[in-house]
Amino acid sequence: MTELNTFGSILSYAIELEAQLQGYYLELGDESRARDAEKRKKKLERVRREHVVEITLEPIEGLNPDDYALNLGDKSADGQRAIETVAARFYADVAPKINVREAQRALEKCGKQHRALLS
Amino acid sequence: MARKLKNYIGGEWVDAQTETYLPVENPATCDVLAEVPESSAADVDKAVQAASEAFEEWRSTPILTRAQYMFRFKSLLEENFDDIARMIVEENGKTIDEARGELRRGIESVDFATSVPVLMRNDGVEDIASGIDETTLRQPVGVFAAITPFNFPVMVPLWFLPTAIACGNTYIVKPSPQTPVSMEMVMELIDELDLPEGVVNMVHGGVDAAQAILKHPGIQGISFVGSTPVAKIIYETGTAHGKRVQAQGGAKNYIAVMPDANMEASARNIMGAAYGCAGQRCLAAAVALGVGDAYERMRDILAEQAARLKVGYGLDESTQMGTVISAAAKARINSMIERAIEQGAELLLDGRNIQVQGYENGIFIGPTILTNVTPEMEIAQEEVFGPVLALMQVQDLDEAIGVINSSRYGNAASIFTSNGGHARTFKYRVRAGNIGINIGVAAPSASFPFGGQKQSFFGDLHGQGHDSIEFFTDRKVVIERWL
Repeated sequence: MTELNTFGSILSYAIELEAQLQGYYLELGDESRARDAEKRKKKLERVRREHVVEITLEPIEGLNPDDYALNLGDKSADGQRAIETVAARFYADVAPKINVREAQRALEKCGKQHRALLS
Repeated sequence: MARKLKNYIGGEWVDAQTETYLPVENPATCDVLAEVPESSAADVDKAVQAASEAFEEWRSTPILTRAQYMFRFKSLLEENFDDIARMIVEENGKTIDEARGELRRGIESVDFATSVPVLMRNDGVEDIASGIDETTLRQPVGVFAAITPFNFPVMVPLWFLPTAIACGNTYIVKPSPQTPVSMEMVMELIDELDLPEGVVNMVHGGVDAAQAILKHPGIQGISFVGSTPVAKIIYETGTAHGKRVQAQGGAKNYIAVMPDANMEASARNIMGAAYGCAGQRCLAAAVALGVGDAYERMRDILAEQAARLKVGYGLDESTQMGTVISAAAKARINSMIERAIEQGAELLLDGRNIQVQGYENGIFIGPTILTNVTPEMEIAQEEVFGPVLALMQVQDLDEAIGVINSSRYGNAASIFTSNGGHARTFKYRVRAGNIGINIGVAAPSASFPFGGQKQSFFGDLHGQGHDSIEFFTDRKVVIERWL
């Protein structure tokens, strides 16, 4: 598993997370949530491309990918809730570590969308 | 057998007139990615002919249409962003974040070029004398060429090419023979634009091709980025042959760290400035001056953070520092470290013998820190172009500015401080073309000129910004009376 120690590794992790969620919800037959995950994935790909600032690339510390492992095998309502909880926590943890406000805002919005699914 | 690269001349991919090809190696794996031709003067001449023939049609293409080509070029670069970035990593060795950042900055130059209808506008005055009006016209000049370096194989050509052709000139690029493949990918996108044949051309090669460019009477101007000795030769030879020349040379960039700096945040940024692109950029932080009691705190934090940097293959997203470009570069950098030690510097962090698992043949040097450096040492004066940060203690800001201004280079300098007065004094007095305040890599964005003073720049007009419009155009004054 990749480390979460660079701008790109965090964005790529988020993209992969959303790709996994897209597949998860497709398997569950929840096309709406799958579509939302795909939209977030595409947005994050754009953010990774457009908001990388070469002159302020700095090492990032204090994040552990093990904290954000998803149990994609659990398709129950509780399982879905657990997955969304992890996703929301991931975005809440990584957004403050990013020093480009536009990218940070995109990550915060993803987190907000995942949190909304918990209420 | 590796693929042989071709030149792009007159809208076609053509073989160079040479039997000599050099391998293009991935510095992390030592795999040969391609073979690049040592193009000859005849190849350059063909490119100049194609560019010259294209000029009249291209300069009369409406400026809004030329701007539209730039919009389309930008779209193609965005669509192919990830593939180009990956190739930059493969042939240069930098990290994928750095490659994406480089390409983003290159695209910003294309963005700038889309504004050419505004940037080329000029002024006029009615009735300068009775019934006489006077106006200035800005016109393209002809054929321009760029000789570009390995460290930013796509960004540096894009500093020049988009603006040059948006202004109505035609162009020849000679990419570095060490990193020509990513620029080939860009040229394939340019081919998709369906520009008139010959508007943009690419000739691979080394010294022979460069010499031919410098001396060819059909080329009006040259942009160059590289080392100071070569920049000086380029400037002297190019101007002796009647060309306008902008030649960016080497650097020795100093960073002053004040006692009032936010040390943790500053250190993170200095990490990027010193070790980003493995120190192989003309804006790399080379010497950190700890002012007063900032020195020891700075030294300890930098050493701790640098030791934690993950060195590896750039395509691994978690890699924080990649390779240097070649075994020869590694040997040169190591020998500079050894001479610094002989001259009295102390090695606080030694990256010379780093091993990267899975890439045992890779050309890696880990983050290196030298302390007790003094101004007369070679390591304080000469460009290393590698991941080596020299630390020096000075008593106050005055002394820091004195050390910085004694350098023969003047590319960039930065200060880390929370005191506005210190920042102002620094930007006012330091003789360097790019000043960073709490920014270690003082790289101007595309709409500002990329500065450079003293031995770091030869010429009058810098790359980027409005300087580039001046460089790529001539002004003509029309004095008009109707009888």
